Amino acid sequence: MEERNHSTAPDTAQSCRCCGWGAFVVGLVAALILGWWVLPGLMKEDKKQPVAFNHVLHVQDQGISCEQCHFLRKDGSFSGLPTTASCAECHFEVLGSDPEEALFVRNYVRTGREIRGEWLVYQKQPDNVLFSHAPHLGDLETAASAAELCSRCHLDVSATTTPPVYTENRLSGYSQNTMLMWECEQCHADTRLRDPESHASNACFVCHK
Amino acid sequence: MNRRGFLKFAAGGTVGLAASPVIWNTLYDAVYWTQNWGWIPRLQKGASEYLPTISKVCPSGTGIRVRLVGGRPVRALGNPGNAMSQGALTALAAAETQLQVSPARLKTPLKRSPDGAYVAISWEEAEKMLRDKALEARGAMACISGDPTSSVNEVFTGFMNAMGSDDFYFMPGEELPALKAWSLMGGQGRLGYDIEHSDFVLSIGANFLESWGTVARNRKAFSAGRPAGQKPALKVAYAGPVQNNTAAGADWWLPIRPDTEMALALGVAHLVIKKGKAPFRIGLPAFAALAERYDPATVAKLTGVDAARLEAVVDALLEAQKPLVITGSPLGAGGAAGPIMAAIAINILLDRVGKEGNLVDLSFPSPVVNGATHIRSLLARDLVAWTQAVAAGKAPAPKMLMIYDANPLYALPAGSGMAEVLDRTPFTVALASFMSETCARCDLVLPAAMGLERFDDACTPYGSGQFSYSIAAPVVEPFYEARPAGELIIALAQELGVDLGVEDMPQLLHKKALSMGADFRALTESGGVFTDDAQRSPVVPLFNTAALQAAITTPAGSSDASVRLAPVLVLGMGTPQTAIPPFATKIIADYQLKGMDSVAQMNSATAAKLGVRQGERVKLQSAAATVTVLVDLFEGVQTDTVALCAGLGHTAFDEFSRGKGINITTLTSVSREPGTGLSVWGGAELARA
Repeated sequence: MEERNHSTAPDTAQSCRCCGWGAFVVGLVAALILGWWVLPGLMKEDKKQPVAFNHVLHVQDQGISCEQCHFLRKDGSFSGLPTTASCAECHFEVLGSDPEEALFVRNYVRTGREIRGEWLVYQKQPDNVLFSHAPHLGDLETAASAAELCSRCHLDVSATTTPPVYTENRLSGYSQNTMLMWECEQCHADTRLRDPESHASNACFVCHK
Repeated sequence: MNRRGFLKFAAGGTVGLAASPVIWNTLYDAVYWTQNWGWIPRLQKGASEYLPTISKVCPSGTGIRVRLVGGRPVRALGNPGNAMSQGALTALAAAETQLQVSPARLKTPLKRSPDGAYVAISWEEAEKMLRDKALEARGAMACISGDPTSSVNEVFTGFMNAMGSDDFYFMPGEELPALKAWSLMGGQGRLGYDIEHSDFVLSIGANFLESWGTVARNRKAFSAGRPAGQKPALKVAYAGPVQNNTAAGADWWLPIRPDTEMALALGVAHLVIKKGKAPFRIGLPAFAALAERYDPATVAKLTGVDAARLEAVVDALLEAQKPLVITGSPLGAGGAAGPIMAAIAINILLDRVGKEGNLVDLSFPSPVVNGATHIRSLLARDLVAWTQAVAAGKAPAPKMLMIYDANPLYALPAGSGMAEVLDRTPFTVALASFMSETCARCDLVLPAAMGLERFDDACTPYGSGQFSYSIAAPVVEPFYEARPAGELIIALAQELGVDLGVEDMPQLLHKKALSMGADFRALTESGGVFTDDAQRSPVVPLFNTAALQAAITTPAGSSDASVRLAPVLVLGMGTPQTAIPPFATKIIADYQLKGMDSVAQMNSATAAKLGVRQGERVKLQSAAATVTVLVDLFEGVQTDTVALCAGLGHTAFDEFSRGKGINITTLTSVSREPGTGLSVWGGAELARA
């Protein structure tokens, strides 16, 4: 029986066999580079905080403790970031020579703009998560320090002179540092293993009301 | 690259991408993206604080604590420190904070342009317009107020009197017929109801656990009198055509035909006298002769109530130590004085008037604003009589009409003449918080601050058993460009050289509190209520049989093809000023409003008479209007009766109210009560159209 050629390509193409495998390898390598390095970078956007807040200056030089600005209220809710008004208790006018302080006083204290509404929160959870700081600070006494306890989840900013870069996912709008659900679940599971009486259940309604 | 090479390149690329995290991470991010659409409201977090005040949306001035988060009001809670509401909330008070951001909220002053459209104007322009028109209307000004408990009425009347006008009226409510009846039966002040100390309440038409009087206080008294698992210390009998919440909570429900309250009350009086329990009092023989005509058989024929059941209720009434008989009108307005007089007569027969747990005589507060009209005089005025007279040309139309916190165009029945008054008045101005039907007909619409945003007060709301006074202190600055109406009129008076004797509302309220011995600061800081039993006057009640006789009307029956309307009033439907609060839509049931249709509840016998079936959309007509409703069969409605909810059928406001259901006041017509001459409405004969 006569052998039929089903290919529509010219005969000369069949003579270059190694070119086919080479194309596969090139495609593979290019995709790996894209997938591991190029595209993830394009999906993210680096943002700056509205003011380059210097924690070192406040904590180490001025002796302000973390809890003076970030505290639990009487009702158990967490104050989070300080308001412009609370910052203005000291910075009602420019105190030093730092241009960032002058920027803050000019743009926020004098105009009444709320810095808290513009600050980029590295670990912000969406509203469908009911997160309360109060039960998570229960083992404060066993922690080496408040900074150590907080940095189990948050970036440790107590020793920084400028805020870390805030990296936002362009698609989801989440910070790169947002704690994801599996991380919560893992910690809850570990806590439950250590202490079966703990309320750190992984039931849905514990965090999603 | 040939075709085969390209395919291998693509295959390599696919394998490479699959081996990288980008696809999986993108899918993961996409999941988060779908959970964070831009239009989903975001929580605004902040410190919580709880500030006490009272609800001015609720007619009974319920005490509330407003929760603020980061300075924003987010929720109204009960205030246990308020002796009237004792921590309880009404459906209206609960909706206070959400109403502040209602879509129907007026945000800026509006002026009607010649083509009928409204244009936003500045406050400066609005104030100039108001000032100029007030000067033009000197001596021919009128005002309608929807808040009879507030001292802001003194500002209006003080200003108007100084401008040579006295046409000030309250929107009709329960107070007008009660005041008329009480004064005819020997009362000097305001009729009060000491429900807390009663051990038996016979309510004839007063839906006191749902909408009548001081609802939160009533329910607290009911709750305290009926502790769970223990013997009730309070028994309740309710007479009304519909098995509403009061009927459901009562020990006895007497299903009467609509508009037969007076016949039932006289039937009760007949039995009390017949059982020899009534002590002798001057005027008793004449009253007994009147009541003699209302024997159980006659009453059963007139009202539809079984004679034996009525007798059982009267026996229980007579066994009680501190019985109380109360009455109310089904619409909360337009009621007659006759049934109230009859109920007062029963309480006189029981020898309880003025005593603990019965009717009490409460004094009126004295005005503190220069030239203000006394509240007693204002409460006795009949708005509908005036609007009808203006509409008929028997009274002069005002040159300027101010409408404060009221929606008369919606709330008054057909034939009230309100639309004609608006047409004939050259300049109409509404001071309101929401774009109501009345606002939509006014020349100038001014956004009034809500109760949470202004200083105001509430003095002895109708239904109270004590002289009471409470103050609304602002918990937040007015939203949008709203301003407190009292401050606006005080400023207008000052500009026109009228000395009201007060500089602003806080000063007025301070003087008011001082005049009655209350502590302004303590009331504003606690949200509490000042009560004064010393302002309860001794009363010598009398049987005014002549007035009672004159007020008797033959209960309108129903023909072979017609039925009677039984209005149902629930606070969840809002007031004419608020319409349905968006927050309350979830408590409106399918048997009240289904989709965009009002639901007409009737029993199967009535349905058979009208030839309608469950779920059928039918047209019903009265002498005044024709409406389309959905039929719902419910055996808790008296035969030959159709129950329809009030508070629906708005043509203004927002998507939560506009076009939903029918306004049942359009079905009713105004008539005059024989003897008292009061404008009455609320009943209607309905037939299938």
